Amino acid sequence: MAYSEKVIEHAENPRNVGTLDKEDPNVGTGLVGAPACGDVMRLQIKVSDDGVIQDAKFKTFGCGSAIASSSLATEWLKGRTLDEASAIRNTDIVKELNLPPVKIHCSVLAEDAIKSAIEDFRKKQSAKREAQG
Amino acid sequence: MTDPFEVLGVARRFSLDRAALEQRHRDLSRTLHPDRYVQSPPGERRMALERAVAVNEAFRALRDPLTRAEALLAAHGLAVGDADRPSQALLMEVMELRESLDEARRSPEKVTALLAQVRARSAAEEAALAAAFDADAAPGTAALAAARDALVRLKYFRRFEEEADDALDI
Repeated sequence: MAYSEKVIEHAENPRNVGTLDKEDPNVGTGLVGAPACGDVMRLQIKVSDDGVIQDAKFKTFGCGSAIASSSLATEWLKGRTLDEASAIRNTDIVKELNLPPVKIHCSVLAEDAIKSAIEDFRKKQSAKREAQG
Repeated sequence: MTDPFEVLGVARRFSLDRAALEQRHRDLSRTLHPDRYVQSPPGERRMALERAVAVNEAFRALRDPLTRAEALLAAHGLAVGDADRPSQALLMEVMELRESLDEARRSPEKVTALLAQVRARSAAEEAALAAAFDADAAPGTAALAAARDALVRLKYFRRFEEEADDALDI
């Protein structure tokens, strides 16, 4: 498997590896995986009260392309609004990282992780609003 | 992919007699051995060679419970693919295990303990596969769904075992 330079760069120097407090109401967590390759990917966002992503972290156990896809996703997420973040498509990741066809599912996984993190954050926020009446 | 059960001519079951499978593989390989086709026309010789390759592949697929389960599900059109998503409970368990493995990397004792724990989980999934596939002569929708879930878990646990083995090798 010949990886593109950008994939190698991200896989060797992943950005934003780590954990955010998943109990924090301003943090959304997405946990996804691809059983075909046994990958697991966690992506977290911390959202400010005005709906901008202040911080993003990830932890991925998987191939270089899966690590690079999630690493790139966290870079792109910071400073975006939730709507802008939802607009990120796996095809953007494929293009940026020059992923070969057999690795496209890694970018799909990253897009799924972004979506579930946003969904988790929104769920928490509506639960908070309900609790406040 | 061709059906390995059909290639080897063995019953499509999860639980199978390992010795009988090996014997079947040996017999077929002997019948298809290139030495027997030296005098044959090129077309026949090539066909025997292709069959011998298929027999080896089928044997490898059926020897391992994981690929055997994959072959059974594929025969029902239920192969696990890139679009499948495991349950949150499994993902949480696997994430936790993988993080523990990362932390344990410098301690062979801890890695060995984690490995033993996960091997027990794999064995349980293999038992679940046997129950799901073989309880009935023709497993129903619910049994096949249960088998598919067990296979996904087994795939994750096997992947963990590979990583843990690598950690012990270094």
